[in-house]
Amino acid sequence: MASKVAIVAVAQIKHDDCLGENIREISYEVSKDILNQVGMKREELGTIISSSSDFWEGISCSNSVYYEAIGANLKDSSKAAEDGASGFVYAVMRIMSGHFDNALVHAVTKSSEIPSLSALTNLYADPFFQRPVCLEDISTAAMQAMLYMNKYKITEEQAAKVVVKNLGNALNNPYAHKRGKIGVEEVLKSDVMAYPIKALDVATYSDGICAMLLASEERAKKMTDNPVWVKGMSWGVDHQFLGDRDLLNGKLKGVAKKAYDMAGITRPVEEIDAAEICEPYSFQELLWYEQLGFCGDGEGGKLIDSGTTAMGGRLPVNPSGGVLAHNPYVARGLIRIAEAALQVMGKAEKRQVPDVKTALAHSTHGFAGQHHSVIILGK
Amino acid sequence: MGRAVAVIGFGQTKHGRREDVNYQELVYEAVKAALEDAGISPGDIEAIIYGSMPSAMEGINAAHLYLSDAMAAFGKPLMRVATCGSTGMSVAHSAFYHVASGSFDIVMAVGSEKMFENDPQGTMETVADPWFQRAFISGAPGVFTMQGNQYSHRYNLPEDRVREAAARISVNHHDNALDNPYAHIRVKITIEDVLKSRIIAYPTRLMDVCPSSDGAAALIFASEEKAKNFPKKPAWVKGLCYCGDEHFFGDSDKVVWESAIIPAERAYKMAGIQNPRKELDVAEIYNPFTYQELIFYECFGFCDRGEACKLVEEGVVLRGGELPCDPSGGVLCTNPIGATGLIRVGEAALQVTGRAGDRQIPGAKMALSHAMGGVDQFNGIMILGSEL
Amino acid sequence: MAKEKPKILEGSISLPYRWAIGPVFTRFFEELKDKKIMGTKCSKCNRVLVPARKFCPRCFEETTEWVQVSDKGTIRTWSLITFEFSGQPMPPPYIVGLIDLDGADVAFSHFIGGIDLSDIEKVKDRVRIGMRVEAKWRDERRGNIHDIEYFKPV
Repeated sequence: MASKVAIVAVAQIKHDDCLGENIREISYEVSKDILNQVGMKREELGTIISSSSDFWEGISCSNSVYYEAIGANLKDSSKAAEDGASGFVYAVMRIMSGHFDNALVHAVTKSSEIPSLSALTNLYADPFFQRPVCLEDISTAAMQAMLYMNKYKITEEQAAKVVVKNLGNALNNPYAHKRGKIGVEEVLKSDVMAYPIKALDVATYSDGICAMLLASEERAKKMTDNPVWVKGMSWGVDHQFLGDRDLLNGKLKGVAKKAYDMAGITRPVEEIDAAEICEPYSFQELLWYEQLGFCGDGEGGKLIDSGTTAMGGRLPVNPSGGVLAHNPYVARGLIRIAEAALQVMGKAEKRQVPDVKTALAHSTHGFAGQHHSVIILGK
Repeated sequence: MGRAVAVIGFGQTKHGRREDVNYQELVYEAVKAALEDAGISPGDIEAIIYGSMPSAMEGINAAHLYLSDAMAAFGKPLMRVATCGSTGMSVAHSAFYHVASGSFDIVMAVGSEKMFENDPQGTMETVADPWFQRAFISGAPGVFTMQGNQYSHRYNLPEDRVREAAARISVNHHDNALDNPYAHIRVKITIEDVLKSRIIAYPTRLMDVCPSSDGAAALIFASEEKAKNFPKKPAWVKGLCYCGDEHFFGDSDKVVWESAIIPAERAYKMAGIQNPRKELDVAEIYNPFTYQELIFYECFGFCDRGEACKLVEEGVVLRGGELPCDPSGGVLCTNPIGATGLIRVGEAALQVTGRAGDRQIPGAKMALSHAMGGVDQFNGIMILGSEL
Repeated sequence: MAKEKPKILEGSISLPYRWAIGPVFTRFFEELKDKKIMGTKCSKCNRVLVPARKFCPRCFEETTEWVQVSDKGTIRTWSLITFEFSGQPMPPPYIVGLIDLDGADVAFSHFIGGIDLSDIEKVKDRVRIGMRVEAKWRDERRGNIHDIEYFKPV
């Protein structure tokens, strides 16, 4: 990376605490938390980048409603919509340009307020071909899962292990929405929604909000003796028609490779100490393992069987519980980055993986992973 | 200011009622035109930034995903930037930062809208928060007219005087659009026509107001190193800044409008401009409403407070004047909202590189482009110059 | 003053749309009336794209060569949908699938039907990746995606 940028502070609000508040109030609270953490006045903020979704919030130009709540009054602020990771990379680029020496990044989703994920994601589909045949988030993920099971003999049990792992990990995460000790059987017995995807294979709807402060190298060193450096970042998008795409081998491989190259990583499992990846469907965590280079094609099931990605394993994936435990659609990408940053800072409390020097954060949005972002953080 | 960035290509569709194409095809048209203008192939574009009005406008959620192929984005970094009316400028700013950061050398900014596919004011309503303002705001005409009325009252300007200045602006811009083959509304009108046109929200009349248009635009930005190798003259980004104020319409002063004053001041500082009226050769101002344009002249320092009517009466801001505004016809004649802010930047780029055809302001070397958005909330500015 | 529990404001947004189809998709839909499924071929990469497109998303060139593809094909993937959501175009249960039509280089999304949907086990017996299917055309065709009612096992 041409110039160094660090994360100096992160903040989240628990799902439960978001429910009764409106989007402005929680945006204020999380932003104030950041300012308090670093002892900064609002006036000192350089730039602010926010991510939210108009349809999710039922407010067009959603960032307008909370603009001043995130400290942006009379400041240069913009919105990278639909994915908190996009807001993050945009803020990093603003600092790299030298125009700003600090940036507040914010992402919010109040899923408790929406009709349903499916209603909103049916609207991702073009009106002529895919929308009338009911394509939306769950059915497209299900078709991807079907292909995956068929080609590589990945089993529903292996996918269920992801749910067990992540909801179990979430017992240590006070911000998560869902948590608990459940068994593979319970997942397998849950109602089929879109075969082979069952109710417990699907992330829930959550309220969530996250903010973080980024700073240039010089500024970061003044603000903290524990900066988390952005070592690599990359993002990319796939075709619009589902039928045009290779659902098992999409753009994540190329995106990950670019981020790895920037960070000088050649052996991900050896060189990454913790990973926070975006798995709205249990099967997808296994597929993303492969695309992120944690294992070969078709070996995602074997990887979870091996325990490599469990807490205590060689490369714990989703110590926070991931998206299955907490799914505010747009904010989840930024939360992955925040959780990865907490791991590097050593501040992940009960969900801390020991000795994290390098962490990976991943986000996705769109049908069956149409868009991916990968960020590498390190000491 | 860090790494220098230039505009090296600009493409736009013929704007208007484009039922001859679907949304993807509309965007494809602008992107193809931009690539041709820059003389590069899709593979040369390293990242893409897309913006449009909120999803409700076309009834497509996350439109960047829907339009990804139309923007040649397959396999490439893509993000969606959206700030209501100022989207086109925010997209241009994002493209600037993609390059200025050193992360990319050639990127494309795309903005689009297909307003004939919906009831635009129905969508505008949904910008206002649901708890307090949505029931009252009455779309864009409501907001901007209230602002215009505030302005006249603040400076004790007789209604007739402001009325006439606004009408002059309308006639001037409609004349300009006749020289712009891409513009939507291309009609010859007179002051009489404006003064007699139907009332929308008193005192705003039909010809004081922009149309709803279908259209798209694409702008290609490059680093200094790459820009210098291009056959056509690059338009250099000399200064940029963006600002927003509070969501509730009644919280800030929209006449001495800080969120418009601050970005202009900061952009001028970056560009080394001390006397905008003298040092700018042309301005592409975001002007969906004639009355509002008067306020922008003052916020951008073209004249003192309360003196905007004089600028119009003396012809300073009209074609042939010292600082002609909106030689393209401006937003008043063409408004595919997601593209509109980007078109302002593109038109400014054409002006300072001598490529604006019949709408060229002779000898233009420094241009201001501007976009406004939200319920009178956001303003963004980008200044382009012919020299680095 | 007693502390009020924060309330919820309910509302909905309902907006009418009229989406321009464009000449290429319009012709595609017209040809459906004649029970023809049309694709366009990209002269650079030689792929046949269905539905027919104005341009190839990989080569970014206009695709003007029209090619008819078969109304028979192979199931690439599928899923039986049994959950409901507001605004759902079709009430469940139904099967969505991606079908590789003979002659096309990309898959086409549509329903898979003509099957007893009452039990997932029965469905799994009947529907498989790689299975051959053919279009069931509606008797009255209007020039939209529903002119094909679904794809049924051959």
